Amino acid sequence: MPELTSRRGLLFGTAAMGAGALLVGCTSNESDDEPAANDQPAADDKPGKEVTIGFAGPQADHGWLNAINDNAKSRAKKYSDVTLEITEGSNDTAAQIGQIETLINKKVDVLVVLPADGKALTQVGLKAMRANIPVINLDRIFNTPQAYRCWIGGDNYGMGLNAGHYIGEKLKGKADATVIELAGLDNLELTQQRTQGFDDALKNYPNIKKVARQAAEFTVESGQAKMAQLLQAQSKFDALWNHDDDQGVGALRAIEQAGRDDFLMVGGAGALSAFQAIKKDDGVLKATVLYPPTMAASAIDLARALGQSKGVGGMAEFEIPASITLYSAVVDKDNVDQYMPTGFK
Amino acid sequence: MAPVPPLLSMNGITKSFPGVRALDGVDLDVQAGEVHCLLGQNGAGKSTLIKVLAGAHQPDTGTIRWRGEGVTLRSPIAAMRLGIATIYQELDLVEHLSVAENVHLGHEPTAAGFVVRGKVARASTTQLLKRLGHPEIDPARLVGDLSAAQQQIVSMARALSHDVRLIVMDEPSAALDPDEVDNLFRIVGDLTSAGVAVVYISHRLEEIRRIGDRVTVLKDGRAVAGGLPAKTTPTRDVVAMMTGRNVEYVFPERPPKDATGGEPLLEVRGLARHGEFEPLDLTVRPGEIVGLAGLVGSGRSEILETIYGARKPSAGQVLVDGRPLKPGSVRAAVRAGLGLAPEERKAQALLMLESVTRNVSVSSMSRFSRGGWIDRAAELGAARAATRELSLRPDNPSVPVRTLSGGNQQKAVLARWLLRGCRVLLLDEPTRGVDVGARAELYAVVRRLADEGLAVLLVSSEVPEVLGLADRVLVLREGRVVHTAPARELDEHRVLDLVMEGSPAS
Amino acid sequence: MTQHASPPRDSTGKVPSAGAAPAWRGLMARADVRTLSLLGVLAALILIGGITKPDEFLDTRNLQLVLTQGSVIGVVTVGMTFVITSGGIDLSVGAIVALASVWATTVATQEYGFAGILFTAVIVGVACGLVNGVLIAYGAMVPFIATLAMLASARGLALQITDGKTQIVTIPSVLDLGERDAYVLGIPPLVMVFAVVTIIGWLILNRTTFGRRTVAVGGNAEAARLAGIDVRRQRLYLYLLSGLCCGIAAFMLIILSGSGQNTNGNLYELDAIAAAIIGGTLLSGGRGTITGSVLGVLIFTTITNIFALNNLQSDVQQIAKGAIIVAAVLVQRRTASTT
Repeated sequence: MPELTSRRGLLFGTAAMGAGALLVGCTSNESDDEPAANDQPAADDKPGKEVTIGFAGPQADHGWLNAINDNAKSRAKKYSDVTLEITEGSNDTAAQIGQIETLINKKVDVLVVLPADGKALTQVGLKAMRANIPVINLDRIFNTPQAYRCWIGGDNYGMGLNAGHYIGEKLKGKADATVIELAGLDNLELTQQRTQGFDDALKNYPNIKKVARQAAEFTVESGQAKMAQLLQAQSKFDALWNHDDDQGVGALRAIEQAGRDDFLMVGGAGALSAFQAIKKDDGVLKATVLYPPTMAASAIDLARALGQSKGVGGMAEFEIPASITLYSAVVDKDNVDQYMPTGFK
Repeated sequence: MAPVPPLLSMNGITKSFPGVRALDGVDLDVQAGEVHCLLGQNGAGKSTLIKVLAGAHQPDTGTIRWRGEGVTLRSPIAAMRLGIATIYQELDLVEHLSVAENVHLGHEPTAAGFVVRGKVARASTTQLLKRLGHPEIDPARLVGDLSAAQQQIVSMARALSHDVRLIVMDEPSAALDPDEVDNLFRIVGDLTSAGVAVVYISHRLEEIRRIGDRVTVLKDGRAVAGGLPAKTTPTRDVVAMMTGRNVEYVFPERPPKDATGGEPLLEVRGLARHGEFEPLDLTVRPGEIVGLAGLVGSGRSEILETIYGARKPSAGQVLVDGRPLKPGSVRAAVRAGLGLAPEERKAQALLMLESVTRNVSVSSMSRFSRGGWIDRAAELGAARAATRELSLRPDNPSVPVRTLSGGNQQKAVLARWLLRGCRVLLLDEPTRGVDVGARAELYAVVRRLADEGLAVLLVSSEVPEVLGLADRVLVLREGRVVHTAPARELDEHRVLDLVMEGSPAS
Repeated sequence: MTQHASPPRDSTGKVPSAGAAPAWRGLMARADVRTLSLLGVLAALILIGGITKPDEFLDTRNLQLVLTQGSVIGVVTVGMTFVITSGGIDLSVGAIVALASVWATTVATQEYGFAGILFTAVIVGVACGLVNGVLIAYGAMVPFIATLAMLASARGLALQITDGKTQIVTIPSVLDLGERDAYVLGIPPLVMVFAVVTIIGWLILNRTTFGRRTVAVGGNAEAARLAGIDVRRQRLYLYLLSGLCCGIAAFMLIILSGSGQNTNGNLYELDAIAAAIIGGTLLSGGRGTITGSVLGVLIFTTITNIFALNNLQSDVQQIAKGAIIVAAVLVQRRTASTT
């Protein structure tokens, strides 16, 4: 790979950008408080080599996915040396393959792909890699590491784990505490992972028992419907974990309609409305576990670094990592202000 | 005991459906090489019997012997294997497949067991069609594109594509014109001389006289007579056995009237539809019944439907009371007082899931409704009055119309227009599927409606019906009127000559 | 009759099943048996719910909950019943609900308050129904295709309006209707709307010329046309009616969920069709029953409720739902054929 040598040539290059922004969740617009440079050639804000990044994502029919697109676009706009070729989002695998092939034919420098279905799009990822176009695989992972140069995504298991630990700590010392879970779409593997993490965390707290779980569909409507049923089924419980803040809008509506306030609720994903409710602190929603859409902004950063043959700041390696799993931070009243700008609608 | 057992012998067949005993101990013997006719009114059990024979229904009790051996016909395939083929009245062909594909459906000639050999299938189909006197039917054509008569030939070819010993024909002549009926009879003759037995079902006594060997008469699920000689048993006796009465067609008397009386109620001027019928003029006066006689394909039904607005004319106009109708609008025609009793009652006139009341009131709903709100008591009363006036049986308009006999279903259609206050009645094959016994009553109803001042335009493929019922007759040939005359000046021979030859007389 | 000849009486006027009056009663009984079998299924479900979760299931709040959850899809199903009875199908109901609910909850619409939201939801529903109706009645498009096209475009438009974002409703007068304080004599307003729509739907289908024409068009469109019914105009009205029901349902959903989202009304088309068919409406047209449809909706909602109360997971729920559809249809067919 010719990039390798040229990157080494730039060994003593430029200042690094904030590692925290990249690894924790990219608070995007606040890039002036970067730590001092180390001696690695890392990407920074200063204009460098022109990079054309192709971006292909699924149809933004959900707040989180829409936030992914927004994050990618605004991040790319920030760099004068980045040209973003963004495709019409599609949930149709065949259509997305076609879009990515078009981007390959256009010979973009780097590809960022959030596949509608990771397994189904593996082949086209391989094709891009073979055409010497490095691929940043966003969130939904391809079948084989050969199909991407770098994977960056959220941690569904970690979400459940952190939600479980947060609730566990809150209910510590309370005897015979009960919790319920409002899961996301059961057909998706990520829902199973989130539940697994949640259950594993709760094992650390023998005083807590999960008494009910119902799956909604990541929609407000289903959140309201399933939550209403859960509330009727459980006349008393201490905590609720809801996998997704979008369906949480409906869940909160059901809670309000039932006139219940005798438990604490933890959300998931990191929607703006959830952050606002946490900040206000006048309802049951006390915290939410992140699944940060800022990963798209980070993906653009990684793509730019690849295109300019640089590493990332804050790390000793010359190359960007092969895989980055984001941390599912818990946002509660204490730190919500920090995350407010990343909340999605 | 005959030395040779009959080809088929059914003994004591009974079959019940929920609420009805369709067959009640029926015996039927069929000899190889004979035409055995089954006679009976609708509901007498003919259809059930042939379905048992075809393996489509299992009898509750009774035995079936085939060439002297006891057999059980568990499925249509079992019957077919024995050599029993059935041609149903409602043809069971696949419209979107070709003639050859239909003929060989289920037993396609194949190579290596699964590759259909289309050429072989087409060749054998051509042979069969030639044998049936219709070499002009292309085996590659889609069945849906064929005429009803041609479809029947295909259905017959399918039956013959098996090694057939007995062939059941359920009213095969119903959709055929006289020349096609002749061809059918020739085929039946060929079959029987080859030793094939034919079970022939028909309403038409004259057909049974021509080709039948023996007759079995069914009534109310029983065989009231078995194996009568078809040619010599007096008609009177056969009708009496079928109906319990001894009359055949009875046409009501025509009232004496002067030929020029009254202004025309319905007037058709130069009405034409490209490719269907040529410019046509006719008038019908109040109290008059005008008949259109012609072969299938002569444009009879098309003319009626165009007058009614169900088809858009390419030229000409229709006037009622001297006022022209909006062309191609059924609603305009109905508003002006036209009513149509179409040829295909079940498909074109009746709401089969609905009661008689709703079938009768459907064209006059505004009469029992205020602001769209239906006064159901008034509706029921009016429907009852209209159906009573026509002696519709049963005398209860709340029964589902599908439970009625053909004749009474036709009366329900007539009651619809009676209730609507219709003044011009268009009748398309009014007695198709109507039992012999019920026909006379329908004729009387039509005549009485005319006497009450309706103008009636009648289409029928049965020449005696047109001649017996109409005052004036228009003879059609290939979409053109070839002769017009008072009905009493014509006879059946003359009309048949005209529709065949088309020699313009007078 | 006439004095010319004595025409013979038609002796074949008998009904296969029985004499005249019993046949009429049999017809009534059959309609009743169909409804009774549905009531039986519902009773069995209530029994199961009562045994497995006596405290939670047999509770006024739970009754309110089940009826509320059934009311939105219930209103859609009433409209769907008319369309199916006429021999048509409307696959776009869920998408219309989604489009109407997001259009009615945009920031711009919310400025007009309660009336603005209600008006927009209804108008959008009716407009979509109008497009469906015109395409089907006058464009001679197959209902399946026309409404499938509407499904795709309405969902697409809904997505375009929202950008995938959840539109929170901030009008207190709208939100209050979904709260317990708004219940009248313990009846939630949404349930009242459902009841009113059901009663009006029943009356229209069974007591008006519009209902008769609907049945006639569905039973035999050609016969209806030849009987002088304006079949095309009737079809147009029917899809308009379905659209209107979707608009009302969208408004109800806004009240219920306090928001508008482009994912609203997900798979409503299948739920509504299933409820109508289970209720006894013929998919081929010609027979429709509002009572049956409403019972179908209640059966589905009760099943969901019992499953949730017993904490059964979605996989079991889906399997059982499928089994119950098959069972209900089989029971009905049996009862219908033996009477």
